[in-house]
Amino acid sequence: MKIVAVILLLGGFFFTAVAAIGVLRFPDFYTRLHASGKADTMGTFLSLLGLAVYEGLSLVSIKIVLIAVFVFIANPIGTHVLSKAAYRSGVKPWTKKGGS
Amino acid sequence: MTIERFFIALVVGLVILVMLMLIRVFKGPSVYDRLNGMGVIGTDAILVLVILGFLSGREDMYVDIAISYSILGFIGLVVIAKYLEGKGGEGR
Repeated sequence: MKIVAVILLLGGFFFTAVAAIGVLRFPDFYTRLHASGKADTMGTFLSLLGLAVYEGLSLVSIKIVLIAVFVFIANPIGTHVLSKAAYRSGVKPWTKKGGS
Repeated sequence: MTIERFFIALVVGLVILVMLMLIRVFKGPSVYDRLNGMGVIGTDAILVLVILGFLSGREDMYVDIAISYSILGFIGLVVIAKYLEGKGGEGR
């Protein structure tokens, strides 16, 4: 059981690190939003699931699964709201021809 | 005994990721980049809180704090994004 938890935590940390590198390195606002909207949600979900597996079945693990489900719903909603606000205020997307 | 060291290493790695996000928050070209970086910092802080609860042995208290932190972070992100809609632009 402990091995499954360690594997899930390592996978979650990998996805979170990929999200951080993507937000730091991508050339445009929308591509940075792409990195943080999908990879960060997946990494947080996997890490919280690993912590719940490590705890076992109790009230604490049920609360951790509740946090995981809430983040899994709320993080894409926040990304969508942010993307719509940026598009309405005129942030231009990056194209290969015209630069930023 | 060794899983505590693994948890400590995980916390150190997450704090390094938060430092990387702070670079994006400080030099982001538009205000939405800064807001995006703050959202990622909030998501990482939930993980740090739960792991610190397991390290200190009082995970029931820390999990409640993490629940309220995630809900307040989401509400803050949505409210600030709706406030800035159509106002900010490039270079602010």
